[in-house]
Amino acid sequence: MKNSPFIHFLMLEFFKERKKHIGVISISLVILFLLSSVLFISSSIRHSLNQTLAWEPDFVVQRIQGGQKVNAPTEWIDDLLEVHGISKITSRVYGRYFFKSKEKSFLIVGVDFMDEQSHKALRMMMDETDLKEFLKGNNMLVGEGVSSHLKAHFYPNGYTFLTPKGAFKKVQLFKVLPKKSNLISNDMIIVPIELAREILGMGEDEVSDIAFNVPNDDEWENVADKISAFYYDLRVVTKEDIKKAYENLYNYKGGIFLILFLIVIVTFVLILYQRYSMVYSSERRHIGLLRALGWSIRDVLKLKFFETMMIVLIAFVLGVALAYLYVFVLGAPLLAEIFLGGANLHNSVILVPVLDFGILSSIFLIYAIPFISAVLIPTWKIAVTDPKEAML
Amino acid sequence: METMIVIENLNKHFKSGDAIFKVLKNINLQINAGECIVLKGVSGSGKTTLLSIMGGLDRPSSGKVLVEGESISKLPDLHISHFRARKIGMIFQHFNLFDHLTAAENVMIPLIPAGLDMNEVNHKVEASLKLANISHKAKSPAGRLSGGEKQRVAIARALASDPAIILCDEPTANLDRNNSLKFIDILSQLHEMGKTIVVATHDPLFDTLPFESRIIPMEDGSLVSTVSEDVLEQG
Repeated sequence: MKNSPFIHFLMLEFFKERKKHIGVISISLVILFLLSSVLFISSSIRHSLNQTLAWEPDFVVQRIQGGQKVNAPTEWIDDLLEVHGISKITSRVYGRYFFKSKEKSFLIVGVDFMDEQSHKALRMMMDETDLKEFLKGNNMLVGEGVSSHLKAHFYPNGYTFLTPKGAFKKVQLFKVLPKKSNLISNDMIIVPIELAREILGMGEDEVSDIAFNVPNDDEWENVADKISAFYYDLRVVTKEDIKKAYENLYNYKGGIFLILFLIVIVTFVLILYQRYSMVYSSERRHIGLLRALGWSIRDVLKLKFFETMMIVLIAFVLGVALAYLYVFVLGAPLLAEIFLGGANLHNSVILVPVLDFGILSSIFLIYAIPFISAVLIPTWKIAVTDPKEAML
Repeated sequence: METMIVIENLNKHFKSGDAIFKVLKNINLQINAGECIVLKGVSGSGKTTLLSIMGGLDRPSSGKVLVEGESISKLPDLHISHFRARKIGMIFQHFNLFDHLTAAENVMIPLIPAGLDMNEVNHKVEASLKLANISHKAKSPAGRLSGGEKQRVAIARALASDPAIILCDEPTANLDRNNSLKFIDILSQLHEMGKTIVVATHDPLFDTLPFESRIIPMEDGSLVSTVSEDVLEQG
């Protein structure tokens, strides 16, 4: 191969005409960088979500009245206990607490630390918290967004909540939840279940919802149907529903970007197509001359294919590498805001590096196929005309 | 003498809307191996089109072109490309060099599809540049060469694959008298080497070539008559 005149000529053409290629490579690089960044961000978020949601219970039972979620009675737990195939029933207490001007809100989650299941579900977020110490007083574990917000409003060590009964409840900030769980825990405050009931004004006989597992996957549908029939205002939410709701949100944002990139790519490809198919372009004369000097259509297409592949590969490798650095090393400033923005509190999520073959091949195919076609189709059209006509 | 090119009842016309322009009209011509033919005529007489059809760059509307007994008029692309690469050396009016490549790299182009290795290609390129007396400019970019130098690079490129036929389209149209005479010198050497040469020109310098040649005047797409220069000299 090293001794091949074709490779030699290919390299000559490529490097001696580099000024012609720099523009195309630069535009390609920008498109590929943005496209890769968006796909990296969305796949990283999806990956983190899957990992976080893995701890979620299989089912959640909620009470819906007047079209909105209200607290469920604890007696529902007894009903659930009678259903065959259900395990690890956990009552959950949580609710939104609006901060001052109501522009921001926290999600207060009450945890029954005596309940192993409830504890386990939040273990990932709580990391190595000293529970004994934590339970000694009115303490809270907060997400990074909550911590930043409190600090910004001069509450660095704790906050005094106003209960629905008009009483003040001072709670100390015990620890900030690890950044790796920010996707879920950013606006979360974890407190003991009794404290949560007090702050949210919930009675002893009510819970926000009830979670449980069904170990046998085949029974999921049956169990859901059976429980749904218990009460007219009972709603069963599956883990898949929660996952889909999150995914839809990020897929929606990613989808908008993808459509924008497709528009950009189509425009770029049309410009390229026009450039290569221009009647009096230098490309046309170039091809005509090669044909006049004894090159077959196949030879010309081979040259243009490899030349285009070099452009595509250079732009692809650089674009993807830069996107990887931008997303996973620099944390995707600006772009991540678009994905995670609109949230209640500013969320600085750690984007876990996810680089699978599917993403890379998607990026490559979305870009390379239209690009190569935009060059090869007009090249072929010129190459099949008589060389004399092409050289005019 | 062996016959190199035979043209039989050749016609070429172009359509433009409803109008048909007849560029070549019933051309019949036989060219022997080693012969030098000068197609003479004013612009639009059809000499360049005839030259292009002989070189396989264009196809006739009807009629045949036989080169060494093989009809080239209806050859598929791969065959006509091989024919051009092996049998034809083309010298164009505007030189048609790739300005971003050096003289040697330009000469290399017709050899690339031949399947040779790089050493063979380099050897042939050197020999061709030497023959065209332009070896000293081998590494100069074609875009920086003078008209005469470009023409010599174009000659070297035409000779690179050692073709039997050299076709020259208005080869001196962009050269001064001095360079035109140098070109004729090189043509003389090629003639001595036994190449079959066909020149399409309206340059009077080709009326009195220093070697045996046949001048064929063209007018309005037809060959006017066939006159051999040596016959003229005798007459």
